[in-house]
Amino acid sequence: MSASVHAGSSQIVAVEQFGTTQTVLGAALAGAALNLRYIGIVASLSEVLTGLSLRTKLLAIHITGDENWALTMAERAKSPDVGAKFLLGSGLVMISVWTASTTAGAVIGAVLPDLERFGLGFAFTAAFIAMARGLWRGQSQMLPWIVAAALTISSVSLGLPQAYAIVVGTLCGLVFLASRRRFERVEA
Amino acid sequence: MTGSHWAVIGVLAIAAFSIRVVGLIAGGRIRASRHSWVLDEVPGLIVVCLVAASLAGQPVQTWIGAAAAFGAAVLTNNVIATMIVGVIIYAGLTMNGI
Repeated sequence: MSASVHAGSSQIVAVEQFGTTQTVLGAALAGAALNLRYIGIVASLSEVLTGLSLRTKLLAIHITGDENWALTMAERAKSPDVGAKFLLGSGLVMISVWTASTTAGAVIGAVLPDLERFGLGFAFTAAFIAMARGLWRGQSQMLPWIVAAALTISSVSLGLPQAYAIVVGTLCGLVFLASRRRFERVEA
Repeated sequence: MTGSHWAVIGVLAIAAFSIRVVGLIAGGRIRASRHSWVLDEVPGLIVVCLVAASLAGQPVQTWIGAAAAFGAAVLTNNVIATMIVGVIIYAGLTMNGI
């Protein structure tokens, strides 16, 4: 499942849904819907993927995860030489580690201590903070990022699953940017 | 594993990959349109939202760890250094029950 789906939250939700409802289509669609942010994630890779064959593009988008995508974009912001090779290499590492670790978790997970206590889960938050820093281009991003973050936190606080809240926050940030661009054009 | 289990995995794999293909097609079209600026803004917005979602509703030690990681990110602009600082502060607070 980890190798063919390669989407953590979708896998967890689909398994949970199937466990409660026993409906194949409902469980799969509930899981897949959590992956809607990948429309934006993969769309943003269009420049990185330019020049690759269709087969390689399809491989690249399958092995792309949140972490290696964000790392690729952050490193690319520092050095434009970073591109498809970096994405593919980090993606292969990602899907290999993801598949191996979920398999290990299924076999020995029950006997492991609570790794969250040692900050393992927080490591991803810290990594994304660093990647956001890498994507920072200047003051013009400040307000849209605050709007996006505030709407994401509000959505989660109102009970929306994190995966949907990320889509809501991103869309609100884009709407804010579009409105500002329109306002600036009118001003000019 | 029953046939239904395999069916869930198969349908989910197809649906998840289809979403990625929609992104691939959309990316090409948006890049060629007057809205290409969207593709430059989406990465930062999604990453910020990923951080915000992981902090929402979390206890104060998570926010302190995030603040420390933010400081390290601003100073170093390095992923590994930021992770090390953030995890040490977070784990220190959690393990000491602060």
